[in-house]
Amino acid sequence: MNGRERVLAALAGEPVDRTPTCTPTSVATVELMDLVDAPFPAANRDAELMARLAATSYTELGFDTIMPVFSIIQDSSALGCEIQWEGKDNWPTAKMTRPIWAEPEDVTIPSDFLTHPDTKCVLDAISILKREYGDEVAIVGKTMGPWTQAYHCFGVEKFLLLSYDDPDKTRQILDRLKTATVDFGRAQIEAGADALTLPDHATGDLVSAKYYDKYLTDLHREFANELEVPLILHICGKTTEFMDYISQTGFAAFHYDSKNNPKESMEIVHGRLALVGNINNPTTLYSQGPEEVAAEVTANLEAGVPLIGPECAIPLQTPIDNLRAIPETVKAWHREHGSN
Amino acid sequence: MADLKDIANETIRDEITEFVEREDEQEKMIDLFAAVTPQMQNIAAALIEGENDEVDELTKAALGDGIEATEVMDDGLIAGMAIVGIKFRDNIIFVPEVLACARAMKAGMTHIEPILSESGIEAVGKVVMGTVKGDLHDIGKNLCTMMLRGAGFEVIDLGVDTSPDDFIDGLEENDAPLLGMSALLTTTMPNMGRTIEAIIDAGMRDDVQVMVGGAPVTQEFADDMGADGYGKDAIDCVELAKQLLSELRGEEAAGA
Repeated sequence: MNGRERVLAALAGEPVDRTPTCTPTSVATVELMDLVDAPFPAANRDAELMARLAATSYTELGFDTIMPVFSIIQDSSALGCEIQWEGKDNWPTAKMTRPIWAEPEDVTIPSDFLTHPDTKCVLDAISILKREYGDEVAIVGKTMGPWTQAYHCFGVEKFLLLSYDDPDKTRQILDRLKTATVDFGRAQIEAGADALTLPDHATGDLVSAKYYDKYLTDLHREFANELEVPLILHICGKTTEFMDYISQTGFAAFHYDSKNNPKESMEIVHGRLALVGNINNPTTLYSQGPEEVAAEVTANLEAGVPLIGPECAIPLQTPIDNLRAIPETVKAWHREHGSN
Repeated sequence: MADLKDIANETIRDEITEFVEREDEQEKMIDLFAAVTPQMQNIAAALIEGENDEVDELTKAALGDGIEATEVMDDGLIAGMAIVGIKFRDNIIFVPEVLACARAMKAGMTHIEPILSESGIEAVGKVVMGTVKGDLHDIGKNLCTMMLRGAGFEVIDLGVDTSPDDFIDGLEENDAPLLGMSALLTTTMPNMGRTIEAIIDAGMRDDVQVMVGGAPVTQEFADDMGADGYGKDAIDCVELAKQLLSELRGEEAAGA
């Protein structure tokens, strides 16, 4: 099997020759930017540079996927949020302290949403990657869920307080924002994405599992119906209590955080979706070495986690030897265990 | 030791029996609320329920009745936040609910802060707080700031997206012995370490105690970055600030 076949089979719950390594979120680092001369912030705004930097997850690190949407603000920018693009060594971010909307009726998807330079950049990068690597590895796109978009467009604190004060208004906002999620997702599929990451930051450290169910289970079920490629939901934090709800949405996979035990998580999802993860970023990948990375990869493999990768977008200063240790450990483990 | 029936307010009694699970904490909460007046219990109960308008009215009324501002703050607002903190720590409530309680506390503090600043009470200590470079998520930092101010600290809040240089300027300009940094993203957490390195380079490390926090931050990460302390939540932050300050003062006294 090649990387693409391996990833798509694992997302479909089908047999694989070895566990695929997957990057639902960014693995861009400053070291990789230097290696291919595609630095931030330009690599977030220029399709050719975006594709070149994204491809390093395959060409330099050995993962089975390429995912070019490094940040979570490309679609927010097209919605009208002010973006702080930062420099080479910091992440771009939406200025949530300057919300663009206050009421549900303010939510309008601009007519140029898909032709805006920051969404078009993603679509063009996916086309480039599909053309150059589409036969070898899975090209994964990324479209933000309405909960995350609401943080960017209304402000995190304001939106979370609204969700406490006024569930009806909250639902109206999410309902209006879902069009952006679906439209950007469909455009990426047309551009060549084999699968989509759908981050929706109802983070386990911020809200409860009941909150997820109250506001998002049904919406996520709609996304799974409307976007006809495997969807990988990404939510950070401790989410074991969310996993039963998530397993009922029809998402192909859930990208899970290192705060969750792999074995316990596998028991909860119980084959209803695939898990992707969950190598710790700040302590293991950023601060420790390949041995510690290998130990976490092995724990995931032994728990039967179907796709292995970092838990979330990695810090830009993460050493690339630590990232390479992920696919290397997976391959070594399978050699030891008699497959591939 | 006081008894649950010594607490007049039914909401407070229910909150303690239903949500405060640890026996030692339950005893502590019963002692705390049994020792305060029913009027203060009512303020605490309204705060726990996130009723900001009610807290606003009850605080105003209490001050109008001639009750000391410090009593309303300590026995009403902060006592209420003690229960909120336990519920948050134990995953009984989450950030939206805590934000509603914090909003209620702010409603009360709006009346109390002017009285306290006029009274000229000396601050417990000075803390510079900020969310690190590249990170605009400040809910946790704001909760910590509010709780620190409630505990008598003077807080200089540098806001979000704070560069190492801005932290250093904030410490120097205010001659503050404590620094609190927050981050919510695993991508921005390393900026805590970069800020500490900049403090070392500026020759200020021996004069400043650094505490860090934020949802993905752990004690292990705090140690790796060279911080002096890690606080899991806003209640923890206050205890940590007191402890670090006393350590610093102890060292100063020993060195003097």
